[in-house]
Amino acid sequence: MRAMSKSVVVISALAALTTGLGCMSFEEQAQGEITLGTHVDDWRQEVIYQVLIDRFADGDAGNNYRVDLTTPGHWHGGDWKGLEDKLDYLQDLGVTTLWISPVVKNVDTDAGFDGYHGYWTQDATEVNPHFGDLSALRSMISAAHEREMKVILDIVTNHVGQVFYYDINKNGQPDNDVFGGGKTGQSPVEHVTEYDPEFDPRGIQSRTSLGESGPAPVVFQYDPATNHVPPQPVLFQNENVYNRKGRTFNFDDLDQLVHGDFPGGLKDVNTSRCDVKRSMVDVYARWVELADFDGFRIDTVKHVEHEFWRYFAQNLRLRLAEQGKNKFFMFGEAFDGSDSLIGSFTKHEVPAHPNDMLLGGDLARENGPEEAGGCPGAAPITGDMLDGVFYFSQYFQAVRDVFRDGQRTAKIKELWDARADNFGSEPNANGTGIAPSKTLVNFLDNHDVPRFLYNGSGVTQFKVDPELALSNALLFLLTEDGIPCIYYGTEQELDGGNDPANREDLWNTGYSTENATFQWVKRLTGIRKRHKALTLGDQTVIWATDHTGDEEDAGIFAFERAGGDAEGSYALAVFNTHLAKTSSTKFEGNVMKTSLPEGSTLVDVLTPDYQAYSLGADGELDLTLLPTTGALLIPGEQVSPED
Amino acid sequence: MRSRAASAGLVLALVASFTASLAPSLARAQAPNPTDPVPAPSATSATSPSTTAASPPADPPPAVTARPPDKPPAPAESPGNDEPPNVEAPVKPAAPEPGILEQITSGFSFGSYGRMIAGSDFRGRPGRDADIVARGSRLDESNYVELELRRDDYWQKTDSRTRVVATLALTNPVFHYSGDFDVTLAIRNLFIEERDLGIKRLSVWVGSRMYRGDDIYLLDFWPLDNLNTLGGGLRYELTESGRTWAALHAGVNRPPGLFYYQQSQRPAPNNAFGATTVDILNRQQTIGSLKLSHLIPLSGNAGLKGAVYGEVRALSSGQRETDPGVFEDVPAENGFVVGAQIGAFTGQRDTHLNLFFRYARGLAAYGEFARPTRLSLERTTDGAQEVLVAAGGNWETGPFGLMAGAYLRSFRNASAALDNDDIDEGIVALRPHLFFGEWGGLSVEGSFQAQQRGVLFAEEPAEGETKAAPTGPLTGTMWRFGVVPFLSPAGRGDYSRPHFRLIYLVSLRDKGARAFYPKDDVFGLREVEHFFGFGAEWWFNTSWNYGG
Repeated sequence: MRAMSKSVVVISALAALTTGLGCMSFEEQAQGEITLGTHVDDWRQEVIYQVLIDRFADGDAGNNYRVDLTTPGHWHGGDWKGLEDKLDYLQDLGVTTLWISPVVKNVDTDAGFDGYHGYWTQDATEVNPHFGDLSALRSMISAAHEREMKVILDIVTNHVGQVFYYDINKNGQPDNDVFGGGKTGQSPVEHVTEYDPEFDPRGIQSRTSLGESGPAPVVFQYDPATNHVPPQPVLFQNENVYNRKGRTFNFDDLDQLVHGDFPGGLKDVNTSRCDVKRSMVDVYARWVELADFDGFRIDTVKHVEHEFWRYFAQNLRLRLAEQGKNKFFMFGEAFDGSDSLIGSFTKHEVPAHPNDMLLGGDLARENGPEEAGGCPGAAPITGDMLDGVFYFSQYFQAVRDVFRDGQRTAKIKELWDARADNFGSEPNANGTGIAPSKTLVNFLDNHDVPRFLYNGSGVTQFKVDPELALSNALLFLLTEDGIPCIYYGTEQELDGGNDPANREDLWNTGYSTENATFQWVKRLTGIRKRHKALTLGDQTVIWATDHTGDEEDAGIFAFERAGGDAEGSYALAVFNTHLAKTSSTKFEGNVMKTSLPEGSTLVDVLTPDYQAYSLGADGELDLTLLPTTGALLIPGEQVSPED
Repeated sequence: MRSRAASAGLVLALVASFTASLAPSLARAQAPNPTDPVPAPSATSATSPSTTAASPPADPPPAVTARPPDKPPAPAESPGNDEPPNVEAPVKPAAPEPGILEQITSGFSFGSYGRMIAGSDFRGRPGRDADIVARGSRLDESNYVELELRRDDYWQKTDSRTRVVATLALTNPVFHYSGDFDVTLAIRNLFIEERDLGIKRLSVWVGSRMYRGDDIYLLDFWPLDNLNTLGGGLRYELTESGRTWAALHAGVNRPPGLFYYQQSQRPAPNNAFGATTVDILNRQQTIGSLKLSHLIPLSGNAGLKGAVYGEVRALSSGQRETDPGVFEDVPAENGFVVGAQIGAFTGQRDTHLNLFFRYARGLAAYGEFARPTRLSLERTTDGAQEVLVAAGGNWETGPFGLMAGAYLRSFRNASAALDNDDIDEGIVALRPHLFFGEWGGLSVEGSFQAQQRGVLFAEEPAEGETKAAPTGPLTGTMWRFGVVPFLSPAGRGDYSRPHFRLIYLVSLRDKGARAFYPKDDVFGLREVEHFFGFGAEWWFNTSWNYGG
């Protein structure tokens, strides 16, 4: 003890050492509840950029679990941190809203493909760890908001991932069965996979070679290594919340359309159930409350009853408005060329479409007690549904048929003229404040179709320089009425075909900001931002033609943007969509007439020397354009030096 | 004959006393922990056949790989190593005859560290390590034994000595538990060391060696230096007294895993039939270390000790095959460690106190046998770091003894964002003893441990409720209290072994600690954990550190 007391035990710089020991330090915004805000002023002024998170940018190698860059259908490592790191790039491009792929935890891998896209929900209450954690998600959204950019979340309500199989032969394991002998006199050979059997309106039946024996049991899988585990929330572990009718093979059949499993074994949710409706509102409202999203892009809208959308959209708006989130934009994907169908999800009457009627759409019942098939919400249900939809009909009839294939431009006018009849013409209560017909989301391509520049099999081959056609199509996209949506990589001239070829890794492009298309988009988004006519003005077609041959005006299409909420701003977009011929805005002496008075000066802000035109009598403008080019004319006094 | 027998007996006695008198914290016995020493709680039991390590765990990285001490840190009159050599007792009056160790000729000797336990959780399950930190209480450690065989030779021609050490370590499964002829074993030492060949006070070793300094017995932890490599080294005593020495070492290892090794199939060459395997990636980690130590004698047998330590690690670049014929570059890696230790001892009854500091960077931060994960964007370990401060000590007086151990550790992996594998943790543990004469006694142990991980934590909601937003990083704490009556045939002393003992240990977990465990793991469901076991621990005549 004496020796010990004499000993000097020096505890050197323990305080300094302990400060060197790191404490876990999350940003304040990453923790606790956050305050929601309304970050948008007018959705018509937004330019949406679609981001497939897994392919956009890899900002954190720590979440690169099972990444395999050599296989398009596997995880590639992109994450929310990577997106946040590239916000400057996107801001430079001029986009103002980011639509990001789903954030929820997915089935990790199935049948050799990975859930990198996000559409295979397994746990709707957890983030997908491949993309980061809640802290990273919040950080990205917060950084976007600081740049006055908005973030739209992609959600799926129609189905979940491959979380169960139908035990058709009741042997307790998932099988690929073969029925039938296939020989003369025998029944045809049938291959039936218990993961993804074909649709049966009765529900999938169990069967063996001896015959059927009633509904096939549903067996939830349990393989944690691939995240084939029962879904969350717990409600979705009840087999009765699924329609259990098997895979849709005929999308024209209403029962299959709405009640069939999505191809790939994605199990269809019975969205007519009240508990499902409430759970979906709760789950997805919670994501907004956790991360302050500004809108939803809703997947597979046409596969879900209109009744569901009435309940979902209205109750979600009310819940978010109570917390300070207003003008929440919900737009849907109805992958269909039928205007009346895709527009029906934005209308206000009930039934909104024959499908709605056939499926029992009825406000009296919907507002009635649950035991009578109703589902009362926070307020009486009205006919309001979504604030917008992807303008798929325009994609097929204008982008593909006209701007790529050079078909008659009158198609576009006919399509637009039907808008008033097919789309909602009044704003939804507690919604964006804008009629859905004014907030259709326009696009040239997306993750489900070949890229615009794709020139391989399965599409008509370009008869003109593809990049020239793209430039013209982008001009159309960024000047027409509605909200433009640009698929990631368009600005880098990616040209992949169908899925998964159109989901390239953007980092391989080096994020160049110097290439022609990036500069073109940047220029157009800038012009769009400076000229309110292009966002808030009404749209009037002043020239469209059936001519596609040698006629003077073959391929010409022109529309004015003016009036409405544009406050005197004016723009005139003129296109020559002919693939080979120079055309003019006249035919047999009839010259295109604008709404401006004689003597007005219009300047084509897309020409290097700002070509000016003086309008003739009745505002006539005789403009000649080379094939696959366009002009954007602004009144001289409104031209900005930055244009 | 009589003189030889007497000499041999005296040699053995002196060797025994010499080893007992060595510098502080000479503990040694190893916990079987050859792979990643995970901070995450273990899923294996102390006596279950599946236990392979004292702190087995599941996942990720780092941590210092510590081995349980074998020999207690008996205060040394002079720092020595485990060789025969000189080491005159600094303060004891020396006999006029030459040092006895100089009279050692040749011979075999056997030593062992071991612990055996039969444990239960009072709920019908086997006992299981419940610590939430990487180096926690060792009362619920699993079975482990080292069997050491040594051959010492004195070479008259060169006036030098050699020692060959072979240590076989075994751990669960134990035949008498599982009935299977199956065991996990490892060669923990297989090296030869010489001393005084050519240069006096210089020793050189080559082989596979547990190469380490002082430990904290209570935590089964070597905080500063604890290497396991295939290599060699040399140690030189700069002074005749041996109080100042320097040790240099270099070695290699190559843990399993794609970070180090990949084998692929190729067609047999020369148009032969079949396939063969080719090492596409095969890179071994090179580790070098340097330690300088100095001891200042004080009055009596007391002294102060200081050491500085440094380590460098390197791993070459290479290629890994991602698809047949498609290769990705694997960057080179490196890392380093710097550290220091100061200690004091009384020279009486193993009373001592050691303080350690260690900083590791890059590859070295992940730990010796780790398979690094959560790499940087450049796919390297660059940016990973670990900071450690630790203390260990013992104090004995009369019938009372007190062991203590504590550390604080912060680990960050190479990925920039915080994640589940980023850890801050620490423990304080105390084990007072009360000796009943020379034959046994009662000890109690209390510890408080805490761990924080780089993930945000939100409690799971009740059914039907919405999950709340996370409130901060996941932090778990645990109190542990144990009572250990023991028998000690070797007499009184905190480091006196063997011990026969009963152990009762209760652990109190908070909700954060329970959240460390996966769904359905009972440790994630229980706030209170019991451990009851009876077992033994022994050590005798084993090799230990290199004299630190």
